Amino acid sequence: MAGAEAIPRLKTEKLTLAFQGKPVLKGIDLTVRAGEFLGLIGPNGAGKTTLLKCLNGIYPSQGKIWLQGVDLKNLTEKEIAVRIGVMHQNVQVTFPFPAGEVVLMGRYPHLKRLQRESGQDYRIARESMEYTDTLQFAQRPISELSGGERQRVLFAKVLAQEPEIILLDEPTASLDIRHQEQIFQYAGVLAAQGKTVIAAVHDLKIAARYCTRLVLLKDGEILADGVPEGVLTSENVSEAYGVRALVYRNAMTGLMDVYLPVPKQAAKRIRLHVIGGGGSGSDIMRSLVEHGYEVSAGVLSEEDSDFKCAQFFGIDCVSAPPFSGISEAVLEHNVRKIQKAQLTVLGNIYFGESNLRNLEAALQAPRLILVEDDFPQARDFTNGKALALYRTLRKRARVTTSAGLITTVEEVLAQGDRVDGEKEADAAEVFGSERAVLLQT
Amino acid sequence: MLAEGDKRRVMQNIKAHSHEKKVIVLLVLGLLLVVVVATALGAVTVPLNKTVEIILKDLGVVKFEQAPFSASQEAIIFFVRFPRVVVAVLVGAALALAGAVMQGMFRNPLADPGIIGISSGASLGAVLAIAWGLTAKSLYFMPLLATAGAFMAALVIYGLSARGGKFSVLTLVLAGIAVSTFIGALTSLTLTFLNEYQVREYLFWSVGSLSGRRWEHVRLVALPVLISMLMLMLFARDLNVLLLGEEEAQSVGLNPAKTRKWLLFFASVTTALAVSVSGHIAFVGLIVPHVMRLLVGPDHRVLLPASALAGALFLVICDLVARIVVMPLEIEVGIVTSLLGAPYFLFLLYRAKKEGVSL
Repeated sequence: MAGAEAIPRLKTEKLTLAFQGKPVLKGIDLTVRAGEFLGLIGPNGAGKTTLLKCLNGIYPSQGKIWLQGVDLKNLTEKEIAVRIGVMHQNVQVTFPFPAGEVVLMGRYPHLKRLQRESGQDYRIARESMEYTDTLQFAQRPISELSGGERQRVLFAKVLAQEPEIILLDEPTASLDIRHQEQIFQYAGVLAAQGKTVIAAVHDLKIAARYCTRLVLLKDGEILADGVPEGVLTSENVSEAYGVRALVYRNAMTGLMDVYLPVPKQAAKRIRLHVIGGGGSGSDIMRSLVEHGYEVSAGVLSEEDSDFKCAQFFGIDCVSAPPFSGISEAVLEHNVRKIQKAQLTVLGNIYFGESNLRNLEAALQAPRLILVEDDFPQARDFTNGKALALYRTLRKRARVTTSAGLITTVEEVLAQGDRVDGEKEADAAEVFGSERAVLLQT
Repeated sequence: MLAEGDKRRVMQNIKAHSHEKKVIVLLVLGLLLVVVVATALGAVTVPLNKTVEIILKDLGVVKFEQAPFSASQEAIIFFVRFPRVVVAVLVGAALALAGAVMQGMFRNPLADPGIIGISSGASLGAVLAIAWGLTAKSLYFMPLLATAGAFMAALVIYGLSARGGKFSVLTLVLAGIAVSTFIGALTSLTLTFLNEYQVREYLFWSVGSLSGRRWEHVRLVALPVLISMLMLMLFARDLNVLLLGEEEAQSVGLNPAKTRKWLLFFASVTTALAVSVSGHIAFVGLIVPHVMRLLVGPDHRVLLPASALAGALFLVICDLVARIVVMPLEIEVGIVTSLLGAPYFLFLLYRAKKEGVSL
């Protein structure tokens, strides 16, 4: 047992391949052991599929490949097929073979030319189909099955080969989410049972969730190799894919997730301030950042999901420790940010004693937009105190909904340019008196 | 979900082939019937029972104290018509089998030995055998050179359309046309240097014909054709796996390039041997496997024998039609198959276009 452990299932050394003089793989060194579920990730053209096709000899590569210590070059096609099974992407079966026949073809490497399939071959094929829940399709022509059904039948075919190593090339490219997860679940169970699974995966979330190890490829080289948490970092993903990517744990599921900022508009030198809390600000901040605005935010409790969101986007944020309320100093700080911003957006927040001072700060905004998705009355937990303040704000603010926010922001900014002086004067008058009143209370 | 007993039955039924077996049995019975009828009919019609008796007697199966038929009947049946029918059986089976193999290995229902240049290559080989006076030395030179020519033509065309393990059917068809035309020109060129007698010897090559085929033709090709056909049938499972596609096939342990070369070799040999006694008979290798695929499905373990049987049946019937339709004159069997085959081929093209199938 110890001896078998010492020999890796699969080992490559300086694996190199070039297509028409263009290098696709540049010296891949990889050692994969029993029980590993290895996900190959990386951008298009990184060499994921090419690497898989080298591993079972479809592409003739330079360098060494050992299967359980045996050089791949010394094995016949059938000997390789007994050890490695491959599920290719987008297999088009145009001939109407019954699905069961296709699965039985997985027994091909185990049979001699004139040997007929034995009872055992049928049993293995049947069990493979049961495992992937496709036995009921056994007699239906594979050309008439849906994409998900066909993929599961082909997976059963790979299982019928009884290989120690299973290669999956984008196994879920054409599948809906349910069947995607299903294929990865099957593969995960097989790895747990001691098989070796290597899958080229596009979906980083799925790769992080099911694979025990990830290998990140870029331009035919290994950029990172290790446990998913170690490989999937914002830095690695950003470098490999050539975009600014943010890797985070989804608050709902605790699973790894990736966010790519989609710049919908070019960066503007317009600064906006967001007052949020309790999750009401996240969507606003993301949306404004994506539209190219410079965003500041506050005051947010350091426990709040909005605070994490602000950090995530690198937003300049005024924060307060949890359950401490907003101190005088923090309020001043926030007011300065608000006054520096051309426009302030107040999210659909719930009003409590602890965030009353955020409403007060909003009064200092040169221009104000209120996002109202719910009636303010329903959001008040201060016995009308906050509501009174909110009504004052409402008198000179533009009111909109989350959906209309960006349009409203653009309109308000445009108006501001046009009637600048007049409005500024007006506002100063109103602000002057009310500010005095409010700061006294 | 299925019950335990049902599960077992489900997988066994995949291999039951009850419908397919029925088709094969019907084809065998049909072939026997047609062989007898075709032997009996002609300018001198011999009753069916007498025909059977003559065939059985001369094959040494039964003995008669006193023959219930006349010597002239026996001569017509056993030395004129029966060998011709046997040649038709062999040629028809060989062409249809080779066609079925070609369609399978190229995953294309329009592939056919003629289209990929095998027939023209065989013709060139045959005309060279005549031109070099080899036919006078031994009967075997003709089929040998025809086979060599066929295989060379197929190899050139396959080589042009396959690069680095990948190959394109469109290139195959186009290269087939170009190479066939080129070889055709070489054949014509050779013909201009032949004398009148040699030209006449070549003539049956230009139009497929079974007229005047005797036992020596049967002896010439029967054994090699049967062996070559058997070899092709041994590849039935490989052909099934090839249908899944190149990389899929390699992943279950089949070397597609190597397998294709063997298939191409035996398909060329089979076709060339057939063509060396019959001349170029068009469309048998195209229509017969296609119809059989509709009847028995794509599994080559059934499709190949079914195609061979149906090809034999088809050519015997076509030859019968060619003999009796304008009696006492006789038309070439190649004309009959072309008249039936060309419209069907066009129908296939039309349907392929309608279904958006690309070549």
